[in-house]
Amino acid sequence: MKRNIKILFFSALIFLASCQPSLNTYNPTPGSAKFTSYVAVGNSLTAGYESGALFISGQKYSWDNMLATQMKSVGMSAQFKTPYMPTEDGVGVSEGGGTPVFRTKLILGYSKDCTGKTSLGPVPANPNASQAALYKEITTSVASGGPYNNLGIPGIKVTDLFSTKLALRNPFFTRIYNPSFGPVLLNYAKEVNPTFFSLWIGNNDVLGYAASGGVGDFITPMDGPEGVGFTASATAAVKYLASITSGGVVASIPDITSIPYFNTVPYNPIPITSQAQADQLNAAYAQYNGFMKANGLPYRINFHVGANAMVISDPSMPLPDSLSFLKIRQIKSDELVMLEIPGDSLKCAFWGTVKPVPDQYVLTESEISKVQTAIQNYNTVLKNLANQYSLAYVDFYTILKSVEKKGITEDGILFTTKFITGNLFSFDGVHLTPQGNGVVANYFIDAINAKYGSNIPKVVVSEIPGIQFPN
Amino acid sequence: MFLVMAAMIISSAVYAGGYQVRLQGNKQTGMGLIGTPMRFGVSSMFYNPGALSFMNGKFGVEAGGSAIFANVIYQAFGSNYTARSNNPMGTPFYFYAAGKLNENITLGMAVYTPYGSAAKWNNNWALKFLIQNISLRAIYYQPTISIKLGDKLGIGIGFIYVSGNVNLTKALNYGSNSYVNLQGSANNYGFNAGLHYKASDKLSFGITYRSKININLKNGNAKFTVPASLSSMIPANNQFNSSLPLPSNLDIGIAYQMNDKLLVAAEFDWVGWGSYDTLSFTFKNNPQILNNKNPRLYKNTFTPRIGLQYVFSDKLTLRAGAFYEITPVNKDYFSPETPSLNTFAYTLGASYKPSKHLSIDLSFLQLFGMKSLMSYTPANVSGYYKSNTVVPGIGISYHF
Repeated sequence: MKRNIKILFFSALIFLASCQPSLNTYNPTPGSAKFTSYVAVGNSLTAGYESGALFISGQKYSWDNMLATQMKSVGMSAQFKTPYMPTEDGVGVSEGGGTPVFRTKLILGYSKDCTGKTSLGPVPANPNASQAALYKEITTSVASGGPYNNLGIPGIKVTDLFSTKLALRNPFFTRIYNPSFGPVLLNYAKEVNPTFFSLWIGNNDVLGYAASGGVGDFITPMDGPEGVGFTASATAAVKYLASITSGGVVASIPDITSIPYFNTVPYNPIPITSQAQADQLNAAYAQYNGFMKANGLPYRINFHVGANAMVISDPSMPLPDSLSFLKIRQIKSDELVMLEIPGDSLKCAFWGTVKPVPDQYVLTESEISKVQTAIQNYNTVLKNLANQYSLAYVDFYTILKSVEKKGITEDGILFTTKFITGNLFSFDGVHLTPQGNGVVANYFIDAINAKYGSNIPKVVVSEIPGIQFPN
Repeated sequence: MFLVMAAMIISSAVYAGGYQVRLQGNKQTGMGLIGTPMRFGVSSMFYNPGALSFMNGKFGVEAGGSAIFANVIYQAFGSNYTARSNNPMGTPFYFYAAGKLNENITLGMAVYTPYGSAAKWNNNWALKFLIQNISLRAIYYQPTISIKLGDKLGIGIGFIYVSGNVNLTKALNYGSNSYVNLQGSANNYGFNAGLHYKASDKLSFGITYRSKININLKNGNAKFTVPASLSSMIPANNQFNSSLPLPSNLDIGIAYQMNDKLLVAAEFDWVGWGSYDTLSFTFKNNPQILNNKNPRLYKNTFTPRIGLQYVFSDKLTLRAGAFYEITPVNKDYFSPETPSLNTFAYTLGASYKPSKHLSIDLSFLQLFGMKSLMSYTPANVSGYYKSNTVVPGIGISYHF
């Protein structure tokens, strides 16, 4: 009897505890779209490249892979295949101009500068990885695992979608190059029998120029045939992708001059603590200032106690080539300095004071203007194409402007354009963090749902790992 | 700059508005949580100190408690993401003892827990940056005096000493296993005053006012578990101050004896939740980084209740009741720390009297938190919530 009461008592407790409410407020539906097989065409952003490299977990948290996961509940039946790298350290290529250098991904870690000061910042996950080993990893073919749905190839421009030589010069494409699919990247899209596509491309058509301070690379011109000009290439790409699917989404290019890569190192990183030091520098530049004055040119170089603008080299200055040593000036406060400027050279090798900072580390006013104009022109083309082909359109230009101004919050996480602390951009200052990719995936979802009347469930951004600070 | 505390928090309950728990007597709980117009002996010390002086016998003691099983479900807006709370059982309790000093004056002591709660969500759930788990408990100690002014009117007042404590944990976005735990306790004072009037054999009224009491947490322990590289900015051990209001209550009730067996009662409870405007935390170390203010913007509530009591026999009394409560929480500042929804509830109760002096009181309360779309706009999160809570309770009272 006593035992029966005990059982009764505990059964009652279990019943009470299991009295669960239920909710069914969201009904995933495809609307008028068909998500059976999804192909994502684009550059490093689509590839899941982040923190300076392509690596497994970055690829896993690419916005398009997360979007594909969400699409499973609205009829995606084909597997979304990503050409995963073999390692978690991955392989990447340095951002700026000059000879490309391979590296592993960047993580947060401690490094010592030339003054002996230790600080926290991006460091290679494996500083000892050899160029040969990294090259081997990045060029080892994974074509047999294809065809791939994630056709994000780091570094490509819109014109590269049509190149027959891409596999020869882009190792990220070399990896998936399959002779039976041919040499043209865009044609790989049809191999997964897609019903839906995304195209986010055009960033590199200005980024290559901008990230090298206008020195290396060039801005893709608007005009010119397919494979040369932006308009013809983007048009052909959208036309082709629309022809092999029944719907898709196109995204615009954010203003890359807003990203941390260009906005972390200030224009005036030269601290001068004594008047004697300032006097000494000013004396050295007296002749320069005298020359500029005599020739009616506005350039002056002047140092004072406090934070000083760097002296940079600016080959665009209106002086004859014979006077190229005078093509230097102090940087203006609205000009941008690259994240990859060697900090030790600034601190210990007289860069910015005695030695002008090389042009490749600076985006000058006129270069900024060229980049911004190109982006706006590109976006006009992209938006028109989305309208013309009745595709969803994600306006990342406007979105990033808004983030830059006041930040956005999702799931209690504040995203800003600040380097590292802004949560949005990874350790290379260019590409998105995993959580940033989640935010981007949700913008894609919003745009697709609005266009096609679908209900693709949103990604829960807070479930994606945040920036890992070291112990 | 480094730490953006989207929101830090306190408290939770789903069974009464906000974090109030009106379960201070199983007789009253059984009839819709109505007690103000009733003469239910020593438990009147909470419900209406004015009614205490009408207790039967010279001495009385009463003790009891409830077990709260609160289940909350959350579904993110625009998604099929669903999370369920994993709340521990809540255990409010009460204890009363009183004795008649003379025919007219009764003195008593009450200990009860009118505010509190415990909420627990999975550590990696979608709103982990708002709250992972929280427990709040306030214990009221109330010495009481009640004076009978003739056969009809009783007045009473209790001095309240509150001992409150809070313990909450929320995740931080600094990589895996980063979180902050805040623990603090505080004491404060207030009062509870009531008037009970029996207009006729059949009709009685009651009115009770309990003052607002702030739980001012001073030098609470803040423990930040973050990667070592952040420890200079976010010290592992810190101290914080905060304040949480336990709002004022004005309860007005009426009871009518229909016949020998059946009594019907109604009560209107006003709760001054409007005083809960902002939840702020100030820290001793690195305040410029860590301090934060979180809007709550609660609204005052007004809850109507009805209840019945049926004397089945000398030994058995049955009770039932119902109420509908509008949540005090602002739908734009709704944090899952306090998932309080518009709620319909029914109650059942029974008292068994094995002897003239002894009563064993049982109650059962079920609350249905209505499906509601709620947002916490500072964190830009929206979702649907729904809750279901069952609360069995048991008490014993002895008057002689």
